[in-house]
Amino acid sequence: MARKILFNIFAWMVVLMVAFPLFWMLVTSVKPQFELFRRPPSMLPETVTFEHYWRLLSDTNFLGYFWNSVILSTATTFVVVTIATIGAYSLVRFRYRGRETLAFLVLFTYLLPSVVLILPLYLMLVELGLSNTITSLVIAYTTFALPYALWLLRSFMAGIPEDLESAALVDGATRLGAFKDVILPQLLPGIISTALFTFILSWNEYLYALVLVNSDESRPLTTGVMNMLISSFNIEWSLLMAASVMMSVPLIIVFAFLQSYLTRGFGAGGVKG
Amino acid sequence: MADVVLSNVNKVFGTFTAVDGLNLDIRQGEFVSLLGPSGCGKTTTLRMLAGLEFPSGGEIRIGDRMVNDLAPGQRDIAMVFQSYALYPHMSVGQNIAYPLKKRGVAKAERTAMVAKTAEMLQLTPLLNRKPRELSGGQQQRVALGRALVRDPKVFLLDEPLSNLDAKLRGYMRAELIELHQRLGRTMVYVTHDQLEAMTMSDRIAVMESGKLQQFAPPQVVYREPANRFVASFIGTPGMNIVDGELLQENGRWIFQSQGFSVDAPNLGPDAQSGAAAMGIRPEGLSIGTGPIEGVVQLVEQTGHENIVVARVGDGLRMTGRTNPDQPVRAGETIKLSIDANKAHFFAEGATGKRLNKAAATSDGPAKSQSALKEATS
Repeated sequence: MARKILFNIFAWMVVLMVAFPLFWMLVTSVKPQFELFRRPPSMLPETVTFEHYWRLLSDTNFLGYFWNSVILSTATTFVVVTIATIGAYSLVRFRYRGRETLAFLVLFTYLLPSVVLILPLYLMLVELGLSNTITSLVIAYTTFALPYALWLLRSFMAGIPEDLESAALVDGATRLGAFKDVILPQLLPGIISTALFTFILSWNEYLYALVLVNSDESRPLTTGVMNMLISSFNIEWSLLMAASVMMSVPLIIVFAFLQSYLTRGFGAGGVKG
Repeated sequence: MADVVLSNVNKVFGTFTAVDGLNLDIRQGEFVSLLGPSGCGKTTTLRMLAGLEFPSGGEIRIGDRMVNDLAPGQRDIAMVFQSYALYPHMSVGQNIAYPLKKRGVAKAERTAMVAKTAEMLQLTPLLNRKPRELSGGQQQRVALGRALVRDPKVFLLDEPLSNLDAKLRGYMRAELIELHQRLGRTMVYVTHDQLEAMTMSDRIAVMESGKLQQFAPPQVVYREPANRFVASFIGTPGMNIVDGELLQENGRWIFQSQGFSVDAPNLGPDAQSGAAAMGIRPEGLSIGTGPIEGVVQLVEQTGHENIVVARVGDGLRMTGRTNPDQPVRAGETIKLSIDANKAHFFAEGATGKRLNKAAATSDGPAKSQSALKEATS
């Protein structure tokens, strides 16, 4: 019993440690300027103001960056999930020479630190005439999200009984038809997990965005906000916190919607034995 | 008329030969079981019939078409899988409708056909449920329904009853026999359970190590097993098989084994002196009097009879049946005799050929049985 209480206290302490910065971010973003640096700091704001949010939306290019990030993350997710789904199907269902080796090679590329790849990728993208575009970031993010996505989906795919596909073929479906009618619905939880992973990764990525994109109209949120609000003379803390809140909201919404899919036992009861 | 024909079919996976020179001639409307231990190639054979595996050699014909290169959907077959393979995200109704949908049957007609099939299998109240909400027996019936709804030329069934409990299995066995009689369709049934094969089939194809051992009606497989493997595989409790030697004495054949010898009256022309085996079913062994002495090791009571396992000579185990009223106890010494007319003799080796004289016809009962079925349906 005592152990249980101790464990609970410990768990709550960890939760508080994780949650406090988020709480502080939220509080700071609604504090008026004059309350920001008061000592001792006020835990809850005395006056709540949304002026920072308003300034961010009306006076800065925040919405432009936001839109770039949405396009960038959605495109990357779409490309990665499409290629990974088809690739995983091939790795699990077809028999060909070097199949396992191929899977391990793919994993190996994931093990390389992404910093190592940044210069070669940059040079290649300049060569292709894609520097300073959102497309260049989609390609770059795909290179490091795809290997992991492929492995994730491969294990989901391996969990789908082969009999289901055989049954669809006997029932008159073509290979593609069986894939669409039977495999894809079964793979949905896996696809959603993979999509979430890729989306979050592209949404939060900073380093590649910093190196590959230098024009303001192509910048995503991460580098855009930093560039705009942090200069060597001044950090606009209130605006930065308001921007951080607004950057986090889409992820929280997406996660809240898809979370039930992730945990739902989708494939239960289809085959026995 | 032959409906399904396999001519000299092979299947090789890498260096492993799963099916080796298989020849089968299945008649229209016949119920054929592919029977054998796991790994004998029976499921591979069925999957080749379905088009899920392609033969490495030989020819497969269904009806009047060569189907070697046809996709499963083009073969006019339906298959019931051991795992049932129901589509988990579709309702029972959608599962049954799927093969119709894939063949472009119009929606109104589809609904009517699904309703008819569901009624036949007592699935009507379950049409809107998902497979995971059903019991094993119900899932089994949905899998059957999905196969039945289209009225295909050939039904392929891959151990469909093996996931059911014993009582339900007996019930479904009867259902399947009745279904086969009502539909009059060709059915190929894979099983490792010889009881299922014996009770349901018109003919049984016994397989071992990728090779066909015997293809004959159940009674023939039971009474005149083609070789030692078939003899030992069919029958519960299994046939007693004794290794020994065949000798010729004054023009008579005698089988001699550890401590006893038996006349071998019915040997055919293939018989040779030397190492051989004798097989005798438990019912060919009389317990009480006789020249062979054994010590009872085990008595299994089944209710209507007792199964007695006795040790004879040096570790040889013989199984016999007795009336439950006949008192036999473990540890007792008993006398046994072998009915020489019921004994089978086999050449040396695990698949040693049967050496007895051939019986009149081995093909007759199958014809009369399917004729009977046609008459009743």
